[in-house]
Amino acid sequence: MARITPTPGQKILYFLLVSLGIGILYIDINTNSFQEIKHGYKSLKISSFYILKNISIEPVRRVLNLTKSKKTLLEENTNLKKALDASYLNNYLISRENSFYKDDNILKYPLLDDDFKANYSLAKLKDLDPNIFKCCDKHRMYIELFSNSKEQSNLESVVFNKSGIIGQITNDGNYLEVILLTDVSHSIPIKSISDTFFCNAKGSGRANIIICSYNPLIWDEEILLTKTFYTSGLGGIFPRNIKIGNVINILDISPNLREIEIALSANPLDDEIFGVFKN
Amino acid sequence: MKDMVKKTIFLMVMSYVEINIAATLSNFFIIFPITFLGYSFYVYRTNSNANPIEAFLFGLLVDLIHGSYFGLNATLFCLITYLINSYSNAFKIFSYLQVCLFFGLSATAYVGFTQLVLNIYNFSYITLLVSSFFNIIFCILVAVFTSYFPKISRLKI
Repeated sequence: MARITPTPGQKILYFLLVSLGIGILYIDINTNSFQEIKHGYKSLKISSFYILKNISIEPVRRVLNLTKSKKTLLEENTNLKKALDASYLNNYLISRENSFYKDDNILKYPLLDDDFKANYSLAKLKDLDPNIFKCCDKHRMYIELFSNSKEQSNLESVVFNKSGIIGQITNDGNYLEVILLTDVSHSIPIKSISDTFFCNAKGSGRANIIICSYNPLIWDEEILLTKTFYTSGLGGIFPRNIKIGNVINILDISPNLREIEIALSANPLDDEIFGVFKN
Repeated sequence: MKDMVKKTIFLMVMSYVEINIAATLSNFFIIFPITFLGYSFYVYRTNSNANPIEAFLFGLLVDLIHGSYFGLNATLFCLITYLINSYSNAFKIFSYLQVCLFFGLSATAYVGFTQLVLNIYNFSYITLLVSSFFNIIFCILVAVFTSYFPKISRLKI
């Protein structure tokens, strides 16, 4: 049977819907008005996954654990893993390559009974879309604190893993939204080790790459491949002198514009446990 | 109602598959919009004209699942539904190759538009060309499959 091609009335409906779609798209791109719906959906997805897991897999696992009398051992194993992850982060903080804290003695362990004494909190990964991370301009990640105290705001807190800084918190709803250094709308002030070259490195939208644009006529320090860059601390958000990464590519765009691509030393896909500095 | 639930589940499954294979395919510069292609095939195979409001709502659902900007898939789903409905009778005199080219190029246009909106700073012509080639080959394989296994291909969603 032949199908009827769209009538003039249907064509008008198509036109209106396409116009509406473009309108919604324009509003979403420019105002982010639908973020709450998206966050709600993500929360729902994550919560449903965990509820389903708790209903379906966990009881079976619990029974198996009971039958094998390994529950205590598993708990101990979980605690040890958490402690090990925390020690990796602590090692990063006190390593010689950076100076989060000049005095190691002030470093407080995040798994202490009194969470208020700790300098940073441990958080676990809740959602990071690797497809978006590898393809698109917007690089975001969602994490959840182990000890979720609502008394202190985590907005703008620095997030790091055992390899280095990966971003900062932009939204502290149910889950903390982290804008990664590679997001195109993110900038981080960096400098060379000699303290004679400073610039704001913007996210490239590509995995693990940030881009620093500068005028070579103004900044005459010679930048070579593999040169290491550090945080300058000028923005007041990121601590000073933290290793960010190494130069992997230098592009001469014009006589007064040069771009250097820096490969970050920390990759958010490497870990599931992160540290969040307290403000 | 039952039909709508079926179609919604179909789209969600397609989206799930697309999200899971996208990371692997991106290593080969391929974007494979299987949700869009699946919906296009559904509109093509159906006996009656698909409702534009339905296309719009399914597009919004896909936007939500994929985490892309609202309106992107809604607009593109509406456009492909309009195109397929308009050419539904013309398709009958097309060869399989022409139909495959139509769907492959539609998928390429979809990839192009989505990349323009989602990834403007790193828009890649290599990705667009490789994806175009891949999508056309995929459509041809589907056509070959339906020719050799007509019983399976006659199944309705």
